[in-house]
Amino acid sequence: MTGSMNAERDVETLIEGADGSDTLFEYQPGSSLLHRLNPVTKLVCSVGLVLIVFLLPDFRGPLLLSIALFALVAAAGAARSVGTVLVAVGAPLALSLILIQGLFYPENESILVAIGVPVIDQLVFYVEGVEFALLILFRLTVLMIALLGTIITTHPKKMTIALMEKGVSNKIAYVFMAALQFIPQMQERAQSILVAQQARGLDTSATLRQRVRSYIALMSPLLIGTLIATETRALALESRGFTRSGERTYLLEVRDTGFGRALRWLTALAVFAVAGWVIA
Amino acid sequence: MSRIVFENVTYEYRTGESPAVEDIDCEIDSGSFIGIAGPSDAGKSTFCRLVPGYIPHYFDGALDGRTVVGGADIADASIGDLAGQVGMLFENPFDQLTGASTTVLEEVAFGLENLGLGREEIVDRSIESLRRVGIEELIDRNPQRLSGGQSQRVALASVLAMQPDVLVLDEPTSQLDPHGAEAVFDIVANMKSRGYTVIVVSQRLDRLAPHLDRLLVMDDGRIAHDGPPAEVLTEPGIEALVDVPEAVRVGTRLREEGYVDPDDPVALSVEAAISELRPHVETPAADGGTTRQTKPEPGVDESPIDFENVRFEYEGGVEALSGISLSMDAGCVCLVGQNGAGKTTFVKHLNGLLDPTGGAVRIEGTDTRDARVAQLAHHVGLAFQNPNDQLFHESVEAEIRYGPTNLGYDEDRIEEASERAIERLELDDVREDNPYDLGMPRRKLVAVASVLAMDTPIVVLDEPTGGQDAPGIELLGTAVEELVAAGTLVVIITHDVEFARRHADRVIALGAGEVLLDGTPREVFGRAETLAETDVDPPVITRIGARLGLSKTVLSIDGLFDRVD
Repeated sequence: MTGSMNAERDVETLIEGADGSDTLFEYQPGSSLLHRLNPVTKLVCSVGLVLIVFLLPDFRGPLLLSIALFALVAAAGAARSVGTVLVAVGAPLALSLILIQGLFYPENESILVAIGVPVIDQLVFYVEGVEFALLILFRLTVLMIALLGTIITTHPKKMTIALMEKGVSNKIAYVFMAALQFIPQMQERAQSILVAQQARGLDTSATLRQRVRSYIALMSPLLIGTLIATETRALALESRGFTRSGERTYLLEVRDTGFGRALRWLTALAVFAVAGWVIA
Repeated sequence: MSRIVFENVTYEYRTGESPAVEDIDCEIDSGSFIGIAGPSDAGKSTFCRLVPGYIPHYFDGALDGRTVVGGADIADASIGDLAGQVGMLFENPFDQLTGASTTVLEEVAFGLENLGLGREEIVDRSIESLRRVGIEELIDRNPQRLSGGQSQRVALASVLAMQPDVLVLDEPTSQLDPHGAEAVFDIVANMKSRGYTVIVVSQRLDRLAPHLDRLLVMDDGRIAHDGPPAEVLTEPGIEALVDVPEAVRVGTRLREEGYVDPDDPVALSVEAAISELRPHVETPAADGGTTRQTKPEPGVDESPIDFENVRFEYEGGVEALSGISLSMDAGCVCLVGQNGAGKTTFVKHLNGLLDPTGGAVRIEGTDTRDARVAQLAHHVGLAFQNPNDQLFHESVEAEIRYGPTNLGYDEDRIEEASERAIERLELDDVREDNPYDLGMPRRKLVAVASVLAMDTPIVVLDEPTGGQDAPGIELLGTAVEELVAAGTLVVIITHDVEFARRHADRVIALGAGEVLLDGTPREVFGRAETLAETDVDPPVITRIGARLGLSKTVLSIDGLFDRVD
């Protein structure tokens, strides 16, 4: 072991504590239960929970799960980012769902509330429609919290290592990592292309036709540049043994505990149980 | 040890029309330091790609002959296996990084993970490689957010971690500013003493030549010159192929004029040139700063470019320009200064891409705040550093006609302006080609031509000579002089002080958002101490003159030899 950095812990701290990309979906360091779970366990449980809520026929189950999951995510210190996304996506979704389903759901029978409105007399919201809207809403809420919670409490490097250790190809793992880095890079380059084209007299604030033209002028160099970079990058990866067969090792150790394994089996069991109960 | 042998190697890319390299027959001894120079498209990169086996394993084409590294034919091993023997550093560091690492440590460790090494060894080797290139402190930084020079060193550390004993570097500094280039170069120069075999392709021989055991100059796919650098750089006809270092020019002239025995090998370093010159130069009592800084004249309303106490602050409070007042009237104005000095921010004010947060910029009388960028494009043509941000047409000709068409010129004027631009940058033979089929130096000329074709009274070029070969620099120089003669105001942002020395009428040094110096090249380059504040070195010939204690600032070899007797 070297002098300045010996313990395994140090490498882990170094990687997890490094500066990120400052996005909402970024990994947030921590040591909560969620943080310590094996990433694959988190993925399996997330998928399991999503399956379960889509099987459940009534909105109360998904509602309870949403609350429980949010508490778990909040305990991991991710309440703010997850909450922000939930409000930003969930609020408009809730409004439109309740409006449309509450008024027009085909199986509407029992009146929940009738609001007097001039011109069209009154708006009638039905119980069946509103309950259906809530069912869809909380199914989606569970999906968002589970996936966001997983992403925010899992360092991408650990995610890829965990996946590769479970037999996922290193190419797929690479694509996952690269995709995360890709968006901010593309934004930066799009900005410099925009500037270069404006300098050549491209008018971006003119008629629709000109705007379509400017779109081409912006997208083409972006795509061509990406393709060139991709080719060189493929070579760079190759030269670092990326396509080499044989055993790989990983910079970090991602632990998989008995508890995690039990949790995965439990999730699978729960999915089957719910499926059986719904069908029966 | 890895002796490299090329046996009659000829290679033609599948998309090529003629062989990229032809009949390469050459042996490179283990532990030697080899430089490769020559014009673009001469086959230098192809030569490089043969050593780590990228040809024939990655590139598609027809290979004849054999390349043998360390006794084994590269055709028999995979790229991944050869990586433990030969490491290659690419021109653009950003393409060499995996793009899948959140920290520098992960980046350097990437290859080692693929080799299946133990965790401790991965960490040890990664740290050792980072230490070797002097950037251990960057270990937890995001690789996407480093400067060019830092990225290139991370890329080099990633290559070194694989523990090759041959290093191939293909123009490793062409995308870097002088500061970053210097840092990379210092490391490379040390590689030989650590026992590596080093092959470096570079256009800039000034720094490289003194370290080389041997220099190969390629032309048209063949090795045209091969030998010790002092011999190769004085062979007849070499001027057309490479940018001969100033020190060698001085040495050659000393021999031609009989001051030094013509049989003595020519000096390669600036130091050596100075000691050869010293006995023949009368040094007056050195009074150093005989040049003074000229105050820029107060802005006249008619000046094409007029900056009035311009300030610019980026969101977040970083002040990039802190009160710049100047006007530009005519000629070739070169802007120099370190990265972060405000050069790019300055340029973006010239066509309204940025509006000042204080003061005013007027272009031919129009306040840039009152006009859109597209309108200002009628007055100012601006070519950015990276041609890939700019080019998107299927042919060079269409690319060049795009700007003038945008400006709404009539067909005659579009035709005339485009043809003149094509002629000026000698692009006639490739006018039907896709710009992306051309090498980077030529592609860069297309980008410049596409801006010249806009036929604007003001032309602004951002780093036009970066990564350019010797003939390309020559061509750009001539084009600039012609434009100036025709009355165009040419503004050039450059790290290339040699270009500024040869072509500028006026040099402005920016530092920390302020004008440090503003005057003729002689006035500005004579003030080495002030230039050092913004990390700019005066041209080599000027430095030689200053070191000899000449009272007048020297800007050319002729000027220097006026003092020799």
